[in-house]
Amino acid sequence: MDPRVELLRAFSRGFTVGAAKVETARHGLRFLDELLSSGGRLEYGELTPLRLVHRYKVVDIPDDRMDDLMRAHVDKELNVCRYFNPAANDTFCFNLDNNHRTHSGVVIPEMELAIRALWQCLCELGCPPLIVASGRGFHVWCRLTESVDNDRLYRFMLPAAAVALASVHAAGYDHRNVKVNLYPHVQLQNAVSLRLFGSNHAKTGVFSHIWTVDGLLGEGASWDCFEEFVRNPKVSPDAIDAARTTLVGGVDLTRAADAARATRQCRGRFASSFESDALRPCGVGNGSWHGGR
Amino acid sequence: MTSSGTSTTSTSSAGTRLIAVDIDDTLNDFTSTLRRTPFPYTLQYSLPEKTFHRYLAKVRNDSPDPSDLLSTEYSLFRYKIHEECYRLAAARADAVDFMQWLKSRHWHIFICTRRDLRRAHGCTRSWLSDNGIPFDHLFSAVNKIAFCRAWGIPYLVDDDANSIAYGPGYGVSVFHPVSRQDTMADTAARAFRSFDEIKRWIQE
Repeated sequence: MDPRVELLRAFSRGFTVGAAKVETARHGLRFLDELLSSGGRLEYGELTPLRLVHRYKVVDIPDDRMDDLMRAHVDKELNVCRYFNPAANDTFCFNLDNNHRTHSGVVIPEMELAIRALWQCLCELGCPPLIVASGRGFHVWCRLTESVDNDRLYRFMLPAAAVALASVHAAGYDHRNVKVNLYPHVQLQNAVSLRLFGSNHAKTGVFSHIWTVDGLLGEGASWDCFEEFVRNPKVSPDAIDAARTTLVGGVDLTRAADAARATRQCRGRFASSFESDALRPCGVGNGSWHGGR
Repeated sequence: MTSSGTSTTSTSSAGTRLIAVDIDDTLNDFTSTLRRTPFPYTLQYSLPEKTFHRYLAKVRNDSPDPSDLLSTEYSLFRYKIHEECYRLAAARADAVDFMQWLKSRHWHIFICTRRDLRRAHGCTRSWLSDNGIPFDHLFSAVNKIAFCRAWGIPYLVDDDANSIAYGPGYGVSVFHPVSRQDTMADTAARAFRSFDEIKRWIQE
């Protein structure tokens, strides 16, 4: 087996079994036959606004078929996105996107500020992330030595995301220009997926390079970095709890009564408008589809 | 295909009669539901009451969001209200009959909607099943004409203004509910009062 596929298998060990979203420009009933011929069931498909790129949510995928899809992913024939486990995960991710309808592929100054702030925050808290350039922004992955309940993860991720947005606000920019989605999200189980490392962006064809403070790594170096990240998870569940305590003390950010006070504790210097937005449950992916009918 | 519309059977485009059908304001009374349903204010919307009522009025009027931002407080609120309407909207009796008629004649049915199926998939599938509406595949697409052309689907039943305006020009026969007839009188799309009319047209 291709070692890259083995890495993706190891990386995906905690995700929902047998579920994936396949992203490809291929379409039509014959392609659908081919996609499902070795098992799996189409829940739904999407035609994205990107030329003819389609996404197919497939469930009940047998293990060997999932390996085939992973192989196609590393060979850049299609992109595979996976779903987080609805109960507990050993991996979590902050998804930072440019929140503009127009020119959404541009890395805006707000994004640079947010990604550096989040990277610094996570490193200082003992949770060094793997940061992947996603096209419209960044996927900031953290990997644990064992699975943790999603609620517990969320209580840590929420204030960490607030820190990132606070840096944007403190620098005089509008934090709403950056959209932060948290995976797993306690209110959106089984609804949203994330593209695995190793893909090319569907629109631009650009590889998902690993980000460092010194710049983006090349493709080979990115795979080396990914391997280290997968093989050697360094963050324990206790470290997550300790990091949350460092950020917000003993309060629960998911409780509205504690939220404003806890947010101020993160880094200070918040405007009241920021507090309500930062603590609002994050929107999902492409907001242009919100409320479509 | 199973009664719940899952796609487990082998399909082939050769010789298969394909049709795409929209849901909101085509199979159901979405806009009417949106405008008449009382939505009481609750804290679950995470909004001040005054903002809630201002946003609700905008949603009911289908006011465009002037913001260039993709995800906003308003877009999230609008989705929540729309999702309630997805569940509450009533199916047209003649639409249900039409869909069952298509299935009984072995048409391959694509449900094609603008809904965000990442979140609305479950309630959409439940609504279709609860109303006895058969289908083969469920797709979301903003540009339904592009979808029909890509998949080789010659017929589209849809109330969307873009579909009505551009479908015939791109070789897709579009049938739309008659309520839009006045504004779309100069297009080649065909307006219908009853789904029974479409039965005749697609057999011509």
